[in-house]
Amino acid sequence: MMRSLRRRIGSRGMRILCSAIGITIVVCYLFPVYWMFASSVKTSAEIFANPPSIIPSHPTLAAFRQVFESENVVRYMRNSLAIAIPVTVVTLLLGASGSYALSRLRTRLIGVALVLALILQIFPDALLATPMFIMFRHVGLLNTFTGVVLATSAKSLAFALVILRPMYRQVPAEIEEASRVDGCGTWQTFWRIVLPIMRVPLIVVGVLSFVQAYGQFVYPLTLLSKQELQPATVGIYSFIGAEYADWDRVMAFASIFAIPVLILFLLLQRKIVAGLTAGALK
Amino acid sequence: MGGSTVLRRTFLASSAAAAGFSANVARAEPATVSLWHVFNLDTDMIYGGMKAFNESQSAYRIEPRLVPGVQIVTELIRAIATGSVPDLVTLDSPVVASFSAQGTLTDLTDQVVQSKFIKPDVYFKGPWASGQWRGKTYGIPRDANTLGLYYNADMFRAKGMDPDKPPRTWSELKAAAQKLRDPAKNVYGFGFCATQAEEGVFQWLPFLWQAGGSVDKLDQPEAAAALQYVTDMVQQGLASKDVINQSQYEVTNTFMAGNIAMSQGGPWELPRMSKQAKFEWRLAPLPVKDDKQIKADCLGGYDFVVPKGAGQVEGAFRFIEFMSNPKILNEGWKSGRIGPRTDVMVQDPLWPQAYATYRGEMSYARPRGPHPQWPDISRPMQTAIQQALTGAKSPADALREAAAKVDPILAKTPL
Amino acid sequence: MRAGRAAVGKIGRRRPVLLYAFLAASMLYLLVFIGLPIVYNLVMSVQEVELGNISDLVRPFVGLENYREAWEDPSFRTVLLNSALFVGANVVAQVGIGLALALFFAQRFPGAHVLRGLLLASWVLPALVVGALWKWIFATDYGVANYVLTRLHLISGAIHWLSDPTVSLTAVTIANIWFGTPFAMILVAAGLTSIPEEQYEAASLDGAGPLARLLHITLPSLWPTLVAVACLVTIYTMRAFDLIFAMTQGGPLDSSNVLPLLSYQLSFQRFHFGVGAAVGSFSFIIVLAVAVLYVRTLRRESEG
Repeated sequence: MMRSLRRRIGSRGMRILCSAIGITIVVCYLFPVYWMFASSVKTSAEIFANPPSIIPSHPTLAAFRQVFESENVVRYMRNSLAIAIPVTVVTLLLGASGSYALSRLRTRLIGVALVLALILQIFPDALLATPMFIMFRHVGLLNTFTGVVLATSAKSLAFALVILRPMYRQVPAEIEEASRVDGCGTWQTFWRIVLPIMRVPLIVVGVLSFVQAYGQFVYPLTLLSKQELQPATVGIYSFIGAEYADWDRVMAFASIFAIPVLILFLLLQRKIVAGLTAGALK
Repeated sequence: MGGSTVLRRTFLASSAAAAGFSANVARAEPATVSLWHVFNLDTDMIYGGMKAFNESQSAYRIEPRLVPGVQIVTELIRAIATGSVPDLVTLDSPVVASFSAQGTLTDLTDQVVQSKFIKPDVYFKGPWASGQWRGKTYGIPRDANTLGLYYNADMFRAKGMDPDKPPRTWSELKAAAQKLRDPAKNVYGFGFCATQAEEGVFQWLPFLWQAGGSVDKLDQPEAAAALQYVTDMVQQGLASKDVINQSQYEVTNTFMAGNIAMSQGGPWELPRMSKQAKFEWRLAPLPVKDDKQIKADCLGGYDFVVPKGAGQVEGAFRFIEFMSNPKILNEGWKSGRIGPRTDVMVQDPLWPQAYATYRGEMSYARPRGPHPQWPDISRPMQTAIQQALTGAKSPADALREAAAKVDPILAKTPL
Repeated sequence: MRAGRAAVGKIGRRRPVLLYAFLAASMLYLLVFIGLPIVYNLVMSVQEVELGNISDLVRPFVGLENYREAWEDPSFRTVLLNSALFVGANVVAQVGIGLALALFFAQRFPGAHVLRGLLLASWVLPALVVGALWKWIFATDYGVANYVLTRLHLISGAIHWLSDPTVSLTAVTIANIWFGTPFAMILVAAGLTSIPEEQYEAASLDGAGPLARLLHITLPSLWPTLVAVACLVTIYTMRAFDLIFAMTQGGPLDSSNVLPLLSYQLSFQRFHFGVGAAVGSFSFIIVLAVAVLYVRTLRRESEG
């Protein structure tokens, strides 16, 4: 029987009801995001008007125009990607391998390593930025993307290690035993057998690391003083001045900022579903 | 941040001296002077100033870095902590003393003595004092600002009040707020900022001083009267309870949206006000307390400071001098920045009524400190203001508690 | 029917060098890039550090003086309690709602995967923007929250979400839950995919209904993931402060202030770096306890 019994929902009516519920949930949940888009087409004064205008009264693209004209938006986005993509790669490389080891080894070290991975995440970036700066200055990594990538990857690596470990343990032992019996070494087993099974969690961790790196603020601010290198998260502050902010432009910038990532999600969601229906676990 | 060798600096200095300030072919590489500033408005005088400075001489080139306003102090601290400081920073005036007292700024006294433009007597007392510590100069004021009372002339007329006669005393202000308040239309009479931040204290100090109180006498009745006044405003519904969470510009935004009739604000709001307020707005000087008739206002603004260990002290000071030229300071008003010097009087200013008001107030605007522990003095006051406004404590009790924290600090180092 | 967990032990008996290499690589990386900066902060917490000596490496040693000063600060107890409430509520809500959403969107109905992806929009935005948005939503006078709630007659008067000390913590908690739940949801969803299909099929053949399948297969298999997610959410929430900074700056009267924000204020607004570092270290100690607890539960799982 090729039907997926877990997922089958009885009647067509039930499925449509679920869709309706799903849409309602998402619409309600994303109201603040709608508010962001709405604010980007309002004037600054209208954003603070009482009573609040849920539908903007005179929507204008002036803020977007000003954002594109005054700031090098393309450069900011490019810098953001120049940081986020390598961070994802580093995180997946070290994280996929490290958490596999964490899930398979049986020494006391595992406990220690996990505790370390957890507590090393506790300090906020603002407090770690200063010593990070000193370290990088000594090795000449200031004002380089490499420096920011290394600093940011540490954050996502810690979380990748913790979250992937239980998922690795879900992989049935028989599969690995079978490959061993076939004569595959550790590396082969890992690369050919286990990783493909873990494809979905790895994609998820990759996407989350990407988003986290894309949204990094403190490290780029401190480690990159050259304007040409700064990513969008720092760029957004050019609309927030010493005494006030042009909120319509901030929201316009934020809207532009969010869209590429949303597209990324929607595309990857399909891959995940495809993985499921293809019976990846068989 | 340059790190030129002595030889190179001598060479540059002599060639700059030979070339003077006139444009010249630069055979030598101009030394880079790194500047960290917070001014993101592109009409700010710093942009024109940097351009003109770079073009007018070939010894130095300014390399700016725009730092988010809330991060400038944090970034400066990090720079000091890591030993790689920029040459020039614009710093909010009340915190300069904290840095100079700890020896983290370069002493500029000698440069000032030799300077053409920077003469202490020319400056307003308040701004100049902010850069002083123990008789030495560590900061040069870049601009100044103070508070005024914005009011909605259209609303005045609608309620039968004369917009040419704004409130001049505390009692007039309260009466006006009562008349202008309109719950049906979601309009509050008065707005000010009372957040748990430096801004909150900045906005309350004028009331304290107008009542005859002072920071070193917070437990006296004058201070309590000042706090009682604003507390009444909130508790009687003349001002929104949200003032304890709204920064100054948010209050101004609410004013511009037409939901407050009068609000206390500074000149930095003018560029936006002129574009976004869809009604006739005017500015009045802050009112005085009926029985005291003391004119007092709070001073704000930015100082230029040169961190200790900067590579290009000479170049940095040249730029400071350049920016202190009255001609440049005149341009400052385009973005709402008042020149901190008595000899700067903008002819044909934008928003002339506002300019006249603010400029007039400068003669009685008082600085905060300078005191190296100003943040520790400011914080108990912020707490007291919030305790009174939320009703957690009576104004007198709240201020007594604040005085208990502030007095020991002032005993060690008087204001 | 039992998961093949017990059989994992058999592989572990071998000690392949490669696995140790994998582990070492990750650990070394973390120790260098996070460990060293943390040591810097811990050392600073036992020194007297002001603006004057912050650039020195050797500063006066004051033992636990900074910790004592932090503890005696009247706002510290409030902040500690706030942190506990804030984190507790966030963990329960984020994992609970995240689980519910993950289960719901795992069903096959039209648009399920698209909708689930859209929910992540909240997590993409910078904290600064999310803070501003919720600040506007919760504004007493012009905020949408009060507007909608009064229109729906759910409340009689406006709630002072951010300016009432008794409500402000709730407001920032709601905002943070909104911000972080999609993250928890997606991780739980990923964990769901690891559960082998055969178990469900076998259970169905045995006659188990959807609820039974949920309780006896999904949840037990998902348990390690849930615990891991809870642990991560705890840590992330314990260190989060950008959102609160943007919404209330910890006010009014420290009613929404949490440990990392207090640490930041002490260090970068009042220039008492040693005390700020001490407050930061308090968080560290709390999380250490949580981490050790988590690892203990793992030991039980491998024995079970």
